[in-house]
Amino acid sequence: MTRFILQRVITSVITLFLASIVVFIGARMLPGDPAQVLAGESADPALLEAIREQFGLNQPIWVQYFTYIGQALTGNLGVSTRDNIPVAEILLQRLPITLELAGLAILIGLVIGITAGVVSAVKRGTFVDYVATGFGLVGLSVPSFWLGLLAILLFAITWQVLPASGFVGFAEDPIGNLRGMILPATVLGIGLSAVLMRQTRAALLGQLSADYVRTARSKGVTRGREVSHALRNSLTTVVTVLGLQLGALIGGAIVTEQIFVIPGFGKLIIDAVAARNYPILQGAVLVAVTGYVLVNLLVDVAYAYLNPRMRLSGGSE
Amino acid sequence: MKTRSKVALATTAIVALLLTACSTPGGAGQGAEPETTAGGVAVVSLAGEPGTLDPSTANTFTARIIFTSVCEKLYDADDNLELVPQLAAELPEVSEDGLTVDIALREGVTFNDGTPFDATAVKISLDRHRTLPTSARKLELAAISDVAVVDDSTVRLTLSRPFSPLGAQLADRAGAIMSPTALEELGDDFGSSPVCVGPFAFEDQVSGSEMNFVKSDFYYDKDKVKLDGVTYQFVTDANIRVANLRSGDINVAERVNASDLPQLKTEAGIEILESATIAYQSVSINVDPATSSNPLATSVDLRRAFELSLDREAVNDVVFNGTNVVDCIPLPGQSAFRPDDVTCSEFDPEAARKILEDSGETLPLAVELMYPSSPTAQKTVEVIQQMANDVGFDVTLKPVEFISALEAGRAGDFEMFLIGWSGRIDPDGDVNDLVTSGGSNNFSRVSDPQLDSLVAEAASVTDTDARKDLYEQVLTRIDELKPNIYLYHDSWFLGLSGITGVEYSSDAIPRFKTASLTE
Amino acid sequence: MTSVPKTTNLSTFGATGSRKSQAQWRRVMRRFLKRPLAVIGLVLVVAFILVAVFGPLLLPDPNKQDFATLLQPPSLAHLLGTDDLGRDVLSRIASGARVSLLAGVLSTTIAMVIGITLGLITGFYRGWFDVVFMRIIDVMLAFPFLIFAVGLAAILGASLTNVIIALGVSQIPEVVRIARGEAMAIREQEFVSGAVADGARDFTIMARYIAPNAASAFIVQATVAIPGAIIGEATLSFLGLGVQPPMASWGIMLTSAQQFLAQAPYLALFPGIAIALTTLGFNLLGDGLRDALDPKEKR
Repeated sequence: MTRFILQRVITSVITLFLASIVVFIGARMLPGDPAQVLAGESADPALLEAIREQFGLNQPIWVQYFTYIGQALTGNLGVSTRDNIPVAEILLQRLPITLELAGLAILIGLVIGITAGVVSAVKRGTFVDYVATGFGLVGLSVPSFWLGLLAILLFAITWQVLPASGFVGFAEDPIGNLRGMILPATVLGIGLSAVLMRQTRAALLGQLSADYVRTARSKGVTRGREVSHALRNSLTTVVTVLGLQLGALIGGAIVTEQIFVIPGFGKLIIDAVAARNYPILQGAVLVAVTGYVLVNLLVDVAYAYLNPRMRLSGGSE
Repeated sequence: MKTRSKVALATTAIVALLLTACSTPGGAGQGAEPETTAGGVAVVSLAGEPGTLDPSTANTFTARIIFTSVCEKLYDADDNLELVPQLAAELPEVSEDGLTVDIALREGVTFNDGTPFDATAVKISLDRHRTLPTSARKLELAAISDVAVVDDSTVRLTLSRPFSPLGAQLADRAGAIMSPTALEELGDDFGSSPVCVGPFAFEDQVSGSEMNFVKSDFYYDKDKVKLDGVTYQFVTDANIRVANLRSGDINVAERVNASDLPQLKTEAGIEILESATIAYQSVSINVDPATSSNPLATSVDLRRAFELSLDREAVNDVVFNGTNVVDCIPLPGQSAFRPDDVTCSEFDPEAARKILEDSGETLPLAVELMYPSSPTAQKTVEVIQQMANDVGFDVTLKPVEFISALEAGRAGDFEMFLIGWSGRIDPDGDVNDLVTSGGSNNFSRVSDPQLDSLVAEAASVTDTDARKDLYEQVLTRIDELKPNIYLYHDSWFLGLSGITGVEYSSDAIPRFKTASLTE
Repeated sequence: MTSVPKTTNLSTFGATGSRKSQAQWRRVMRRFLKRPLAVIGLVLVVAFILVAVFGPLLLPDPNKQDFATLLQPPSLAHLLGTDDLGRDVLSRIASGARVSLLAGVLSTTIAMVIGITLGLITGFYRGWFDVVFMRIIDVMLAFPFLIFAVGLAAILGASLTNVIIALGVSQIPEVVRIARGEAMAIREQEFVSGAVADGARDFTIMARYIAPNAASAFIVQATVAIPGAIIGEATLSFLGLGVQPPMASWGIMLTSAQQFLAQAPYLALFPGIAIALTTLGFNLLGDGLRDALDPKEKR
């Protein structure tokens, strides 16, 4: 087990290192000169050169990379070209917002997904099952940005009960914060709940038909205990699904934050692409990728722990 | 050959413009005054992000909005684009030869950190604008060769050449005066926490999301300031700004879409202010045969045919609900230098078709129209495409993200380019560098010695009537060469809810100095 | 995007010869047709393809503007109403279907061709190539799908071709992973070892033995990938990184609908329904195929 974990950690670190190069080069392959973005309507060559000088953009790309990575390892991610604010400071402002959004979305996804999955598995073949299964299928097929538009149309424009955007910090105003977060988190959570519903239902049906459950039933174990036992055994599925869905969740967060104007990571990345703000883009994408790789690592380890047979085939190695 | 019909299309535009200008001067504080409350923080939703708040390097329109709260300038412009003193005590006193300019300063003024405002502070700021390597103000102040302190409340600028637009420059960021103490302390980081003279002082920000300002105790005019503070939020999506205005989550929504106006105007508690701005939109045609092989590059007649195919009024109606001011010259209606009678060519598809048929080119004549991708620009070019294709052009559309579009534009890597200019108070800023040889914003790459010398002469003359006459000649020459097809001046709308006393004039910058919240 | 990919053992049915597998495919077909949901999926997908192929030929010009009929709600003249330039929404939905079909199918084809080839090779030979190559794939997988696609599309610039490339490349790692897993699993089976012992060439083994036996896994992956790519195209276009106007795309239609949510909500409704029905069709079809191909997982 220790060896497996060590191996996965090492490959993850290598992956992250290579990913940092990809992000760095990718940012510079974006068409458009960041100096020009900062110069706005002005195109004075001396000004452009001074801006490039200020952010070290006139150096060879490998010099820029090693300077960057050297500083990054000491926690210095550079400053935003837009307003000279340290990237780390901006990321620390934005990260909790996206984590809150994702956390709420996962919570909503888990509650709806597992409830619907359990109910439809237990009441298999009934009307409830059809409704839940239908929800699972539709939830899977509807793009989150469209759900976002519909949510704004209904709740913000037609009924005017929730704001279309207007993020407020949780510490500042917890109720206002939740009011602003409930729509985007639900929109983001629904796709997840659909996947979870389908997987929970399938895993639970598999478990309920498994031999040991049948044995238990013959011994007179109640239906409720039977289901809870089977559910516990289906947890690996839920954990795996969550891990695999994390990528979709991050992608969904980008679009959702854009639609609801939530100042989180997704919006930060899209804005940084538009402004050719390399330091912000690099920092934000790298942190997102690190988180993603880390969670995948944890899922692999948890998976291997819960299901020792899978240890050998876990991960891509 | 010339199929230009003299119909005073623009006259109606000017009348419309005057009407709007008359109906909304100074903003909301008119008519039955609603109950106002003392204090409170106004929440303002702006359409862009400000970037840095360093007046020397700032380059966004949004930063200019914020500066009106936190960073006053030597001069300001009124609704008719006339200079009025702000931190200066009087209008600049220009010597006979036009080479020395004396500026008297307001006395008893204090920066928001308590530092006294004086001639030395002005000199430090102007010198920083002129010399900081990353300063975006260098070209604006290029005519100044020296700044000297005459006494505590007078500075003297020495110019290398007579330069009439100087006053207008000092009414923008180049005239912003920064606290020398803060400059000493923050240096290049001044923009992270700017300290100037202003009704509000910078408090804190969430980068790219919002900025908070609190009422200043040091402001010379603080008795007029009623708000406790202003919070600026940056929301690029106009629909979201409007939705938040409706729900009462914000007090002010900048740049409301014209399509939302009819409905908003009927809603209780929402007020709309209009600004007929000095900004314009135009189609620049690459006229440099070295970079464009399209027949339009070498034929004024074909360019004229393109213009004749466009129904400016219809574009305005469909895309902007008829709110913009259609026009065919860059100078806005408010400008004192605008010619008295401007005649625009009329929409005439028949004439356009005839020119194309007579040109000997194979029809339909293919031409590519580049535009910076945005919903409004896209809609505009889609309408233009249909109109031009109706008379025998074959327009293909090429959306390019804004910065790449600017670069392609400057490299001459396009055939036609839909591009706007934010406009300047002084007419020099609407033509110089935009239609002069080698100008950095001269996308069409027009290069005409006669035009160049006319523009240069107009900037060096001080007499208003003489300048006006010269600009008329400049505009006539532009029309003969037809490198740009000017379409309209933008109108912008400010949505208000629960706030009054906001100033919103032709620079489209909402000012909150005298604003107050209502019950 | 959808359910957990099963990298293991979808392939175990079927042996070597092609005659035998024909009978198997018929059995799969019968099993498939017995599932009502799967058939509904098939109908939706076929309808989508028909609309994409024939719709634009039968309906009025999707780019014809009519300033006299701006933002008209659905009526007999315009069954789904008109947009902010007076264009017929139904026509635009149909030509948007064509864009979706192209983006979905072509990008998946790119990913499948490149991904399967590379995956089979690396899974068959293993060795240093596999180690290095899988590091690259790991790096690609380290980026969430949409971040990777958004980045690529931003670098390449906005056009239909570039969207197809961006979505295709972004899907490659997943396909490689599946193909590699299949190759590794099938390689160990007796009929392959037998062929190796008989002196069959590597290419023959991969093309004749491994690929056909992995086909069911690839088909299932494709039915997952196509709707993913369709949503991907809509998302990229919605973010302004997608196809060029005036070409109609469901994503672009939704972007402009956003400006008229209050006045003309139907503009936001129809393209979204089109996306949802199409994706639903592919998902049902995929579920049906998976169940039909893998009878052991009866539920």
